[in-house]
Amino acid sequence: MEAHPDLTRGVVQGLGWLYLVMFAMNFVWTVRSFRRDGEFESLLGFKHLPKAFVWAIYTGTLMIFAAVHLTLRTSDASAFVLKLPEWFKLSVDWLIADPVKYFAASIVLFVLMLVLRRWWTKPTPAWILLNLSLLFLGFSMTDYDFRQIVGKPDNVPIVGMLFLTGFFTWLYFRQAVENDDRAAAGRPVKEKELSQQVLVWPDLVYTELVCMVLLTALLVVWGVALQAPLEEPGSSVKTPNPSKAPWYFLGLQEMLVYYDPWMAGVVLPLIIIAGLMAIPYIDFNQKGNGYYCYNDRKFAVVTFLFGFLPLWVAMIILGTFIRGPNWNMFGVYEYWDVHKLEVLNNVNLSDWFWLDIMDRSLPKPDATASLLAQTGTILTREWLGIVLTLAYLIVLPPLMAVTVFRNYYVRMGFVRYIVLANLLLFMAALPLKMVLRWVFHLKYIVAIPEWFFNI
Amino acid sequence: MARKQKAGGAESTSPEPAPPADAPAEPAAEAATAAQPPVAPVAPADKPKSTSDILAAARAQKAGGAAPAAPKSTTDILAAARAQKAGAGPAAPAAKPGSTADILAAARAQKAAGGGAAQPGTSSASSPAAAKKAAPPPEIAGLPAGSKPSVEAMLKAVRTGDAAATEPPKPKLPVKASAAPKPPAKGESRRSFLDTVLSPFVIGFTALAAWGAIGSLAAARFMMPNTVLELPSRFKIGSASDYPLGMVSEKYKASRGIWVVHTDTYDGRNIIYALSTVCTHLGCTPNWLDAEQKFKCPCHGSGFYVNGINFEGPAPRPLERVGLRVSEDGQLEVDKSLKFQEELGQWTDEKSFVQVS
Repeated sequence: MEAHPDLTRGVVQGLGWLYLVMFAMNFVWTVRSFRRDGEFESLLGFKHLPKAFVWAIYTGTLMIFAAVHLTLRTSDASAFVLKLPEWFKLSVDWLIADPVKYFAASIVLFVLMLVLRRWWTKPTPAWILLNLSLLFLGFSMTDYDFRQIVGKPDNVPIVGMLFLTGFFTWLYFRQAVENDDRAAAGRPVKEKELSQQVLVWPDLVYTELVCMVLLTALLVVWGVALQAPLEEPGSSVKTPNPSKAPWYFLGLQEMLVYYDPWMAGVVLPLIIIAGLMAIPYIDFNQKGNGYYCYNDRKFAVVTFLFGFLPLWVAMIILGTFIRGPNWNMFGVYEYWDVHKLEVLNNVNLSDWFWLDIMDRSLPKPDATASLLAQTGTILTREWLGIVLTLAYLIVLPPLMAVTVFRNYYVRMGFVRYIVLANLLLFMAALPLKMVLRWVFHLKYIVAIPEWFFNI
Repeated sequence: MARKQKAGGAESTSPEPAPPADAPAEPAAEAATAAQPPVAPVAPADKPKSTSDILAAARAQKAGGAAPAAPKSTTDILAAARAQKAGAGPAAPAAKPGSTADILAAARAQKAAGGGAAQPGTSSASSPAAAKKAAPPPEIAGLPAGSKPSVEAMLKAVRTGDAAATEPPKPKLPVKASAAPKPPAKGESRRSFLDTVLSPFVIGFTALAAWGAIGSLAAARFMMPNTVLELPSRFKIGSASDYPLGMVSEKYKASRGIWVVHTDTYDGRNIIYALSTVCTHLGCTPNWLDAEQKFKCPCHGSGFYVNGINFEGPAPRPLERVGLRVSEDGQLEVDKSLKFQEELGQWTDEKSFVQVS
C-alpha cells in the first residue's frame, strides 16, 4: 500500500498553517529569549553568542516549512518529502500497540514527571516540550492512518484536551515547585506574599466577559468546522466495530476489558465516586490549605495523580487512538485491519488450579442436586480465588498498618485508616488485574457465572 | 436623625449636645419666653438651594405652630406655606430632587449638619436677626456646607448660646399626594369580570397549566413509541439441509438476532443449534470472523469459539443458545423464548439443538 494515499493539497496546506502559527509563537519566544536568556560563553567557536540565536534558527526553519507547505502545487503532494521516517513509525507502534509496553511507558512517564518536576516546569524546557509535541503532531499528520484516527471529528477536541491537561499539570507543578522552594528558604508561600487581589468590578467581570466571548467564538468555529459524527440509526443487532464509549467513559471501557460488567460498570465507578467524596474526611494533613505545594502533600498528590494520569487519562488516550476493530490495539501509524490476530486466550484461576495443579476436572454443580449442594460445589471450585480476594481486602490493610502506613495509622485512627486502605486497594486492583491478565492470562480470580459474580 | 445626634455628640466637647443643626429653628422653639418672632421662615424666601433648606423651613414651621408667633410679613407666611406644601410651590424644585447631584447635595448637607452646626450657609448667614440668642456665631454658621467647624468654634457656640438640649424637631417631610385615581371597586362595571379573568396572574397560571398538560401528554406519548416491540419469538428458518456442516449462518443475525450453527465441535456430536447474538459480557453484538473461526465482540474484545464457548477477553460465560426444533413440516423452527446456558448445564437439553443424522 502506498504510504501516503491521500496526502492532498488541503492536508499539506493545513500543515502549512500549523507551521505558520508555530512560527509566530516562536518568533515571540525568540524575542523573549533575546531579552532574558543571556548568551553562550562560547559556541562553535563564536564567543558571546546570544542563546536566542538557536531559537532564531529554529524559527526561521519553521518559516521555511510554512512557506513550502503553503505554496505547494497540487501535483507535488505525492512527491512531498517532509514526512516521518518508517523506523520512527515502527518504533512508536511497537511501543504503544502492546498493552504491557503502553502501560509501562505511561508509568515511566509518570515517574519522570514527578522526579524531573524541577526541570520541566522551567519555561524553556516546557516550551521545548510543547514544540516537540506540536512537531510530532504535524509530522505524524503526513501519515494516512494517523490522520484517519486523529483527524476524526470526535477526536480533534480530545487532542486539544490533552494539551490542556498537559498545561494544567505543568501549571500545578510550576506553582508547587516555587512554593516548595519558598518553604525551604523560609519565606512565605507565593499566595500569601503576592496576594494579588483583583477587583470584581471591573477587572474580573471584564476578564470573564472576554473569556465568554472567546469561548463562544471557539464553539461556533468548532460547530461549523467539525461535522457532528452522526451514524446510521441505532440497532440492537448491529454494533459498530470498534464500538467506543464517549471519551470520558473510555477509562471505564478499558476497565471492562479486565473486569466483569458488574465490577467495572457498577462497583468500581461507585467506589471511585465515593472515594473522591471521602477525600476531605480521610485527609488529616493540615498543610497545603490554600496554596500549591508538592513536598507538603506528597502522598495525596502522587496518589491522586497516579489515579488520574496513568489510570484515567492514559486509558482515554488508549481507548481513543489505539483501540481498533475487535477492540484490538493498533499503533497510531498502523492500518486498522479487522482480521488482525491477537492471541488473548484467558483462563480463570479455578481452571488453572483444578486442571493444571490438581490435574483433575473442574467440580461441576449437579443441576439436579439441592441448592445447598450446588452452592457447596461452586464454592469448592472457586475456593482459592475467594480466599485470595478476602485476604487482599482483609489481611492487607492491617499488614500495611504495621509496615508502610504505620505513621498514617497512628495519626488517622482505625476507621479512617481502614477506609483509606480499602480505597487504595481498590485503586490498585485495576493495574494488578491488568498485570495478572498480561502475565498469567488470568481472566477471573473468582468466576461464578452461575451467579453473575466474577472478580 | 439618630446618626445626626450621635455625630453631634461625638464632636461636642461639652456634656451637653452641641447646638442642633437647625439653628434657625431654635429661636422658634423658645419663642414663647423670648417673645421674639421666629426668623427662620424668612430664610426660604431666597430660593432654597437644597433639601436641607426646605427641611429647616419645615421645622421652623412646625415650631411656629407649637408656639404661634406673629409672622413678620406676608412673604413670611407665603414662604412658610410654601415650605409646608413643598410639593408644588416655588420651593418645590429642591424638594423634588431633579438629579443625583441634588440628592448628593442634600445628603452632604445633612451629614454636615450632623457634624455640628453646619447649617446651609445661605439661610443662617442671611438672617442676622437670629444671631444673639442661640444661633451659632457666623464663623460657624457661615461655613460652607460640608466643612466641619473646629472644636473651639463649637465650644464658643456652646458658651454663647445657651444651647438647649432640645431635640431637633422632626422635619415634616413633604408628602406627595397620590395623584392616581382609585380604581373602580369590584362590581362597579361590567368590565370587572373581564379584568379578573384577564389578570396576568390568571393568564400566567392558565398558560403554565396548559403547557404542563401538553408536556405530560407528550411524555406519555413518548413512553409508547411507535414500534413493534417484540418480533414473534417462534419462526421457521428453512430445512436442515440449508445449513451444511461447519457453517455459521448470519442470515438471521440482523433481523432476528441469532446465528444458526452446524458443527461437530461440541461434545463431538453433529448438531445444528441457534446462538443468541448477545455478548455475555455487556450485551454488544459480536461479529463472526470466518477466517479466524470465532465470534469476536467489538466492544471489549471478547472471543467465542464456533461452539459458543468463551475463550478470550472478559466474557465470563459462553454465548446463549435459543430453542431449536424440527417442526411438523420438516423445517427448522427457532424459539427465542427459550434460553439455554452452558454454565448451567442446559446445553444437554434436547430442545437446544437438532441432531443431524
